[in-house]
Amino acid sequence: MESLAKQKIIEDLLPQKFGKAGKIWVVILLAFCTLGFVAYCMQLSKGLVVTAMRDYVSWGIYISNFVFFVAISLVGSLITAVLRLSQAKWSTPLTRIAEIIAVSAITFASIIIVVDMGRPDRFYNLFIHARLQSPIVWDVIVITTYFFVSILLLYFPLLPDMAILMKFKDKTGMAWLNKMYAFLGSFWKNTKAQIHISEKAVNILSITIIPVAFAIHTVTSWLFATTYRPGWDSTNFGAYFISGAFLVGAGAVVVAMYVFRKAYHLEKYIQNEHFDKMGKVLVMLALLYLYFNVNEFLVPAFKMKKSEEEHLMGLFTGEFAPVFWFAISTAMIIPILILITKRGRKPLPAFIAGLLVVIGSWFKRYLIVTPTLLHPFLPMHDVPEAYKHYFPTWQEWAIALGSLAGALLIVTLFARIFPIIPIQETITEIEEHEMSITKI
Amino acid sequence: MLVSESRALGTKINKRHMKKHSKIFLSAILLQLLVNAVFAQAEKNSLSLSVGYFNSNNQTQYLIARAKSKIDGKFQMIPGISVSFYISTETPENLLGKAVTNDKGEALIFMPPKAKDEWMKSAKVGFLVSSASTKLFDEAKGSFDLTKAKILIDTAADKKITATVMELKDSVWTPVKAVDVKIAIKRLDADLNVADAPTYATDSLGIASADFKRDSLPGDAKGNLTLIAKVEDNDLYGNLSAEKVVPWGKSFKYYSEFDKRTLFARRGKSPMWLELLAYSIVVAVWGVLIYLVGQIKKLKKLGVN
Repeated sequence: MESLAKQKIIEDLLPQKFGKAGKIWVVILLAFCTLGFVAYCMQLSKGLVVTAMRDYVSWGIYISNFVFFVAISLVGSLITAVLRLSQAKWSTPLTRIAEIIAVSAITFASIIIVVDMGRPDRFYNLFIHARLQSPIVWDVIVITTYFFVSILLLYFPLLPDMAILMKFKDKTGMAWLNKMYAFLGSFWKNTKAQIHISEKAVNILSITIIPVAFAIHTVTSWLFATTYRPGWDSTNFGAYFISGAFLVGAGAVVVAMYVFRKAYHLEKYIQNEHFDKMGKVLVMLALLYLYFNVNEFLVPAFKMKKSEEEHLMGLFTGEFAPVFWFAISTAMIIPILILITKRGRKPLPAFIAGLLVVIGSWFKRYLIVTPTLLHPFLPMHDVPEAYKHYFPTWQEWAIALGSLAGALLIVTLFARIFPIIPIQETITEIEEHEMSITKI
Repeated sequence: MLVSESRALGTKINKRHMKKHSKIFLSAILLQLLVNAVFAQAEKNSLSLSVGYFNSNNQTQYLIARAKSKIDGKFQMIPGISVSFYISTETPENLLGKAVTNDKGEALIFMPPKAKDEWMKSAKVGFLVSSASTKLFDEAKGSFDLTKAKILIDTAADKKITATVMELKDSVWTPVKAVDVKIAIKRLDADLNVADAPTYATDSLGIASADFKRDSLPGDAKGNLTLIAKVEDNDLYGNLSAEKVVPWGKSFKYYSEFDKRTLFARRGKSPMWLELLAYSIVVAVWGVLIYLVGQIKKLKKLGVN
């Protein structure tokens, strides 16, 4: 590969300073984070009474948000591990986007759990009084594990790029950034031995992350399924959650692909072909999730047990029907209809479909968590009327939106500091491609 | 014209008649309602009171009064009725005690020691119960004439159970023929028949026999079972019962899961298989992660060299 072309790739993919739009975007995200922080301070000082959560609904939008974050984090394993192990070379430009989404999502999944606990100073109780029999403890273990696996999977492929960043330190323009690059990857000399160790490590991580990723969302589903309640009492929950997680994660990647492509002019690297392939992946995942949804709702609806009737009818035609049908349509049906055609898999329609998947999936998580809590098998006597309904307070909305903004801020800042598309891997792949053409 | 006039006249007359009749009709309804209201206030349900005699294991004697009333065509047990119990005659000196009926309409008293003299007077003794008139019920009375009797239980070889019923005749205990006796095993909430037949009739010697055919029945820790012979709701003798403990059961040891290693136990008491499984997975995965962190160190070394 000619050094001129190599130079061009490096220049294209080096992290760039924020433009005007980038700065506005960061300010908006910071504003949401600040609002969330203020609301959290209020919750800290007054207690969980500032939320709408009461004796019936004790898991509101915080836990919906937690499930959403855990779901979206699964994308790291999908793009990085599954596609890498299946030798799908086309996914290379998407791996880092997927991994940073995974890391930011899992970080905020952990934070939102602490928010939901009410008193963060009691967090240590979770460890000193942990019962190994409890799925909550399994969740703590598996989230911590997944976080470290994701960090390592982000770090190893970043090492060769770190050497490039140090080489072009005058372009980054900030001394502290260069110091950080040096701290993280000054030892990378791109030797054969180093490349071999790094590739081996990435392969091991790709294999490790798949069962861990399955475990993280299966365990999250068991938080619900091991509880005997209408809507949660299901053996289908593990597979139902995992299929939904892959769908929302893939949707988030498509959205991020489009935004980064537009913001950093990466059309040469994130091509229409990537949208086409990710579009197909999305259709497959949406169909799979739709299948699990049919199972999840049709079977109990067919039996319509008295205890489940109120919950199911609440979703189909009752209080939650607008949200339910909105979530089913936006997370699955409309994206399938958009992406099923080749024209629909062009960047803009694919972006819209991805966005719909993400929005619909958030509401889907809300529907999994909250309506069930409003219909216990053994209702309490003489509870205040307000306990029988749930609508989040502004503090809850602010904290939930703040956490979503925080996750987006991590992704945004990461893209400012590190190359969002692996530089060295892209160069190597192009070189390998050119060599194979020369051989022919 | 004439026809129409006569019709109009007819309608007028009809209306006048209707007005007159409707006044009478309304007055009748009002009167009926008034009468109903007055009578409804005065009307009381009749109460049926009965009394039963019980002798448990020839030791504890007690009486149970039952209060019931026919309401809406059905007999219902009446709670909250104060019942006075008497022996022989309904006089203050023969008052055994008072009790109030429970939710099942039953009031129970144990025979007090003061009843001994009256009890010893004769081989036959009468019990009376009465309740005073209340807002809802009339006063009621009931009685039971008891012929003193007793029941004995014994066992023989080959797990044969015999129950003997005797009545007091002229100060002598005499066997009674043709009395139905229930021979059973006492369980927690009910009695379990020792064989297929639930009851056995006494012969001329007053003996009813049954074979014990309940092998491997769980008993207490030593395998003991309690046999019971009962005469139930007999018109002459009331309710009699006698018990005997026999080692014919299977030894049963209660095994408590409390504080054992189970899925529902407290912290630190999780099942061994779960601990092994969970810790092996954690060690395996974190072993891999630690190995990979070691690889970063190796990369650093290679870079420095």
